[in-house]
Amino acid sequence: MKRRALLRAGALAGSLSLAGCSSLVETRTVGVPPIPEDRPNGIYHPSHVEGMAMAGTATSGDYAVGLFYSYPHRFWNVNGGDTSLTDIESDDAVHLMASVWDPETETVLPETGLSLEISRDGSLVSQEAIYPMLSQPMGFHYGANFGLEGDGTYAVRLSVGAVSTRRTGAFADRFADPATVEIPFEYSEAAKNEISFERFDDEAATPGAVDPMSMEMLPDAFAPLESNLPGTVLGSGTSNDARLVVTALESVPAGVDGDGTYLAVSARTRYNRMVIPAMGLSGTLTRDGETVYDGAFDRTLDPDIGYHYGAVVDGVESGDALTLSVGVQPQTARHEGYETAFGGLMGGMPDVTVPVP
Amino acid sequence: MPLDGDTDRSRRDVLKAAVALGGASALSACLDRTADDPVPTGDPNDKPARQYAWREYVRHDDHGNTQLPSHQILLYLTLDADGPPSADQRDALAETFDALDRAYAWSHEGLLHSIAYSPAYFGRFDAPLPDSVDLPEPTALSPFESPTFDRQDALLHLASDRPDALLEADRALRGERDAANGVSIPSLPLTVDSRRTGFVGAGLPAQHQDAAGIPDSNPVPEASPLFMGFEAGFRGNQATEDYVTIDDGPFAGGTTKVVANLRQRLDDWYEEQTHEERVMEMFSPGHAAEGLVEGTGDSLGSDSDIDRFVDDLEADAREYGRVGHAQKAARANRDADGNVRLLRRHFESTDDIGSDQRVASLHFPSLQRRISEFEAVRRAMNGTDLTEVTPAVRQRVNNGILEYIFVRRRGNFLVPPRRHRVLPAPRPE
Repeated sequence: MKRRALLRAGALAGSLSLAGCSSLVETRTVGVPPIPEDRPNGIYHPSHVEGMAMAGTATSGDYAVGLFYSYPHRFWNVNGGDTSLTDIESDDAVHLMASVWDPETETVLPETGLSLEISRDGSLVSQEAIYPMLSQPMGFHYGANFGLEGDGTYAVRLSVGAVSTRRTGAFADRFADPATVEIPFEYSEAAKNEISFERFDDEAATPGAVDPMSMEMLPDAFAPLESNLPGTVLGSGTSNDARLVVTALESVPAGVDGDGTYLAVSARTRYNRMVIPAMGLSGTLTRDGETVYDGAFDRTLDPDIGYHYGAVVDGVESGDALTLSVGVQPQTARHEGYETAFGGLMGGMPDVTVPVP
Repeated sequence: MPLDGDTDRSRRDVLKAAVALGGASALSACLDRTADDPVPTGDPNDKPARQYAWREYVRHDDHGNTQLPSHQILLYLTLDADGPPSADQRDALAETFDALDRAYAWSHEGLLHSIAYSPAYFGRFDAPLPDSVDLPEPTALSPFESPTFDRQDALLHLASDRPDALLEADRALRGERDAANGVSIPSLPLTVDSRRTGFVGAGLPAQHQDAAGIPDSNPVPEASPLFMGFEAGFRGNQATEDYVTIDDGPFAGGTTKVVANLRQRLDDWYEEQTHEERVMEMFSPGHAAEGLVEGTGDSLGSDSDIDRFVDDLEADAREYGRVGHAQKAARANRDADGNVRLLRRHFESTDDIGSDQRVASLHFPSLQRRISEFEAVRRAMNGTDLTEVTPAVRQRVNNGILEYIFVRRRGNFLVPPRRHRVLPAPRPE
């Protein structure tokens, strides 16, 4: 029988008094289990998962933005082929998370770029360009740990950059400009400590994932179900727990140059079906031993296909084989349980070959 | 007589603080410490025709690079009434400038000053500017910035190595004292909408690294003229004053000026990166690979050699997953003959416009013949094309220094030739 220890901050109150009021955060980190040993080369069940609370949402221009917070998190930052741990620092008070979506279609928008400016009574507390991230419960979002100046009301200005990928269909003319919203953030240490903090003793480090959370006001970051993808789904394969689903569209979406068949690769996490953005992906289509396409699959945002990687080919025939190759691992920071997947700490995302039925 | 702890450090500290505060007590603190050397007075008939003629009148380092005046003030000015300026206002401003010219030698040891006018100012007139002047309203120049635009009528820029001279002139111009350097100065007949101050040169950024935005580890080297730890504005990478000069029309002998204010957030710049990584992001990965930049970059001499690395951009993005700031900007900062198009004169500040906080920021004046030249360079610096080459180079991350700078203000101005410096019409005689 699985045993879950549900720890709330109150359970740690005994050590708070010892630590003194100036180091509440350190006390909190004492409660965070160590990074699991013997992590698999792939997605694994984390040692713990923190809940989150909403600070607020706002809309400006083409964007809706939600701001959420939780306990400071450790996470792994990704730069090119490098995956490195960012640990909790002693003056971190919160992990702030922002999600950006299209208020019309409720599509979560990866690759907008996002920066946060936190002020209190007109005085600057912090300002950073924050990390694009993948977590098991939330999928794609932006996040970073921040220090604060105690309980009180903060103003958080979130600046959303233009979407930096190709955009197609009804998205072709949208998300081209930046926007800024301001969301008030009522912070109290006590309220934060009411946020759930769940430990997993037995499941930690086993292959699998915690369930996606659902939160009213926040659209989910799922990739479309295979059955909902437009075109003809040719098949799929898995590379270091990134599932790559290939669909072929007979016409090329508006916003993409060229004529022919449009091959779209929808990448999603194993288990939770969260969109995996910001990979460098290329592919080779072969027919009877001849290469008929060899080139990039460009990062693209489409209202029907969702975020995907696309290429125009002359056509696809039964018996063809498409080999997909990840040259650059997903350039998103990882919460615990994802740092060993999609190329992460152990490196390597093997090629995936999808035979065309 | 030595003052308490009157080392170079504490002296510089007091003087810079004095410029920022600008009050009477600050000035007297300032005067106490510099009164030994008289500030040279000037002759109104012995001034260069170009208001931005600095190169011959400031210090140079051993490599011939310009050393900008250590202390600088920007006064953003507005006319009180609608419509074109009156003859009275013109007379009054001419009198103020003539007095200032008498009070100070045109030199880094005296006072360098220039006034520039905005598109909004020229909008007061019915006639448009001639085609020889390219002066659009300021605009956002990256897909992620939303700056506030400085649309005041005029910008008066004061600069000196002598903070006492600078501050006295500033106070007299603002009507807080009657005279400067022994010369009676009528106060400006315009309203000061915003007063911004700054400093540049080895030692000063290190002295002021307690400002917000710079980590507590005191990472700014004493030798660095700027907060980010490197020299900038090498002679070989700057336009000449001749090059940026408008060469025809009524404003021939003038130039255009863009001034941005950027907040700097250098925690990750210093704490998450090695010197080598900072060299990659400031200059280019090639600079790091070849070990060209020692310390703050004095090893580069009079040219950062950046032109040699411009063609490597896409390959660097693929190989290193990051690209350099100078490398990106340089590709748009050369004309067909290879001449540099912009003359950058940026300086540091701890001003946080709109608050009393001390926050690391950068005032970034750039001179060029046409504003569109600046806009092209700024857009090249966005590296948007490189984010398409690899997802490792993101909108602001691994993309030069964009992660660490936040543009808050931008204004565009015309610096008329000296002969038209007083509230000019769009087509002066």
